[in-house]
Amino acid sequence: MRVVVADDVMLTREGIVRLLTDAGIDVVAEAEDADELMRHVRSTNPDVALVDIRMPPTHTDEGIVAARTIRAEHPETGVLVLSQYVEPSYAMRLIEDHPERIGYLLKDRVFDIAVVVDALRRIVDGETVVDPTIVSRLVGRRRREDPLAALTDREREVLGLIAEGMSNRAVAARLHITERTVEAHVTQVFQKLGLGESPDQHRRVLAVLEFLRT
Amino acid sequence: MPGEGCHNAPVASVSNQRLDPIPPVATAIAVAIGLVALAIARGPGRFTTYPGRSGAAAFTVVAGLSLILAGLVCWRSRSTARIGALAVSAGIVWFAPIYDGWEGGPTLVRSLGLVASPVLVPILLHLILAYPTGRLRSRVHRGLVVAVYGGAAIFTLGLALFRDPFFDQYCWSNCTVNVFLLFSSPVLARRLTDLDRWFDAAAAVVVVTSYAARIALGSNVERRALLPVAAPTVLIATAAVWRATTMTRLPLEDPLEPTFLRGFLVACFGVFLLGAALVWAVVRAWLERRAVARTVTSLGDAPLPGSLESALAMAVGDADLRIAYWLPGPGRYVSADGTLVDEPVAQPGRSVTALVRDDRRVAMVSHAGGISELGREMGAAVRLGLENERLQAEVLAHLVELRASRARIVEAGDAERRRLERDLHDGAQQRLLALSYDIRLALAAAEADRDGRAASSLRGAIDHTQGALAELRELAHGIYPAILAEAGLGPAIASLADSAPIPVEIDTSLEGRCPAPAEGAAYLLVADGIEDAARRSASIASVGIAREVGSRSVTFDDDGSQRRSEMIGVADRVGAVGGRLLLEGTTLRAEIPCE
Repeated sequence: MRVVVADDVMLTREGIVRLLTDAGIDVVAEAEDADELMRHVRSTNPDVALVDIRMPPTHTDEGIVAARTIRAEHPETGVLVLSQYVEPSYAMRLIEDHPERIGYLLKDRVFDIAVVVDALRRIVDGETVVDPTIVSRLVGRRRREDPLAALTDREREVLGLIAEGMSNRAVAARLHITERTVEAHVTQVFQKLGLGESPDQHRRVLAVLEFLRT
Repeated sequence: MPGEGCHNAPVASVSNQRLDPIPPVATAIAVAIGLVALAIARGPGRFTTYPGRSGAAAFTVVAGLSLILAGLVCWRSRSTARIGALAVSAGIVWFAPIYDGWEGGPTLVRSLGLVASPVLVPILLHLILAYPTGRLRSRVHRGLVVAVYGGAAIFTLGLALFRDPFFDQYCWSNCTVNVFLLFSSPVLARRLTDLDRWFDAAAAVVVVTSYAARIALGSNVERRALLPVAAPTVLIATAAVWRATTMTRLPLEDPLEPTFLRGFLVACFGVFLLGAALVWAVVRAWLERRAVARTVTSLGDAPLPGSLESALAMAVGDADLRIAYWLPGPGRYVSADGTLVDEPVAQPGRSVTALVRDDRRVAMVSHAGGISELGREMGAAVRLGLENERLQAEVLAHLVELRASRARIVEAGDAERRRLERDLHDGAQQRLLALSYDIRLALAAAEADRDGRAASSLRGAIDHTQGALAELRELAHGIYPAILAEAGLGPAIASLADSAPIPVEIDTSLEGRCPAPAEGAAYLLVADGIEDAARRSASIASVGIAREVGSRSVTFDDDGSQRRSEMIGVADRVGAVGGRLLLEGTTLRAEIPCE
């Protein structure tokens, strides 16, 4: 797997590159800012770009802007945005245009390289990745009449994994159940929540996140 | 333009206005001179003077007396005293040619009449140029007046010293007497007489031109003020030119000759109208003063800032009139609503009047050039109103300053918090991340060495680091919610609701952003509102943000117990951006300016 890493803090960037290299991932280029990142993506055509959300010049949301540009201009390149913000708004904004091959992960997870590698693989497989902390914050959101109360524990578990961007097969593998059972759970969940027919696997992530937010 | 109608003279207090005895005495003498002149014209001067003709006598006396009496009226009024004295003098000079033609009169009197006569046209032109205040507006006008008087002085002196009327072949009104004669030079005397009348004609044309320019280029106010002298200016100038041209044809100035008589009657009419215009100037000033006093009285007990300015502007008919109040403390000028303004300066067509009370500067008024002596026309009511409004402006200026400094403090605080948040992310967080990599490497090494104890304590270290990172993230978010600055109020409040301990329903229709301090105030209202609601065991809260013209209306409500906190922090923050927080039961409501 060929990866480009973009982070303006050298210490962090080098740490990430070292961990990825140790995990057998081919880091083909490093970038300090969005412009350099775009150049590398154009020239190396990587499988995934690993992008810090805050980069020069404003240190705000350059990463998200760069990610959306990459997804729009290089459909074969996936993007994983690393962020220090537990903000569903950012994650939703990131995936709203091109929900496939894109991910939003909290930066703290970088030190658990297995999680990062797993996310990169899922992105290469065309999945969406939303950090579990964000999903659990949304699922745990206080509601006046909680529609989630109508779900069984297993159904709620399935809903959470869908919101994290997992495919039915990935959910089945995680919960040690068959894919068919997962499908049944998903249909149930969508019916109970009044979400109608479940859309394709990529669009359903956004649908679920939006539902959880209201 | 130095001195261009700039009356920066202190305005003295109105009291202690004693009656000056000079004007009535001078006027009485002038009237007597006029009446004696009439007697001379009807008697010994029947053939030598214009009023010798029965028809012209009445016109001459009416014209002269109109100048003298108008002069008295002006003299009595402080703002037009100068022009009053000038008009009385002009009235006296008006009768000089009659004394010159006093057949058999005292030689000294006749000679005085002779030398005074050439001053008539210059003094009339001076009156026109100085109308309506008596002050000359520009350097050009002052130069013109000096030149006209200078010329007249040269001719007068020359004629007095060198003209022996006896040898003047064209002499008519006085062919015998000149007590000032030094030596007789008929040729020089003739030249001087010719030059004098052409000089008068030329000066009259220049004054008409200058008057026309003032009317054409001046402000509306100025034009209105100058209009009354339009007819006198044209008539007097016509008479001067008429006389000069007629005398080229008929060098012998015979008052009984119809051509000369017609010119003289035009002059009579012009002088009479000049007198009327002078009286009108006084009446107009009085009307202005009354209008100002009345409008100011009608402002009521608690006029809004700036009412005095608009009242004054309306009263004097100058929409661009501005009052700048002087604040002695900071040494600056402010407008009535307390905002800083530049010191008013006189410009072409606009004058500045300093208003002083008890030797203290109160305000500067910039107004159209034609308004005469604005400061002097203000009565006690206006002065009190001005002082009042100055005090109000001072308080408002303090308020403006306070508001600005409050906003600056909030902005500085926000900037500092934002810097702190960035430092935490770029500093402590990055180091913790680096530390966690190292621990992970050590863990891998320990596992490879099968060192179970080291591995387990390293796993504990990883847990601690993870906890520290999470806490750091929350801390940074608490210090400064980055999403508020980057994504705006909507996402930031949604984020608050995500992690709130009670359900928060949001009803917003937000489009567009507000300045950061305004968004910060709205965010703080919701954040503190949620915290306070949870403390009062509310089970649900609601947030409404509505877009209004130039502001956002933020409402927060909950079903908790009665609110005890005054929400001072929120009120301060909302106040600092110029908004207002209202507490009604459990409802918080704020109007926050967003421009």
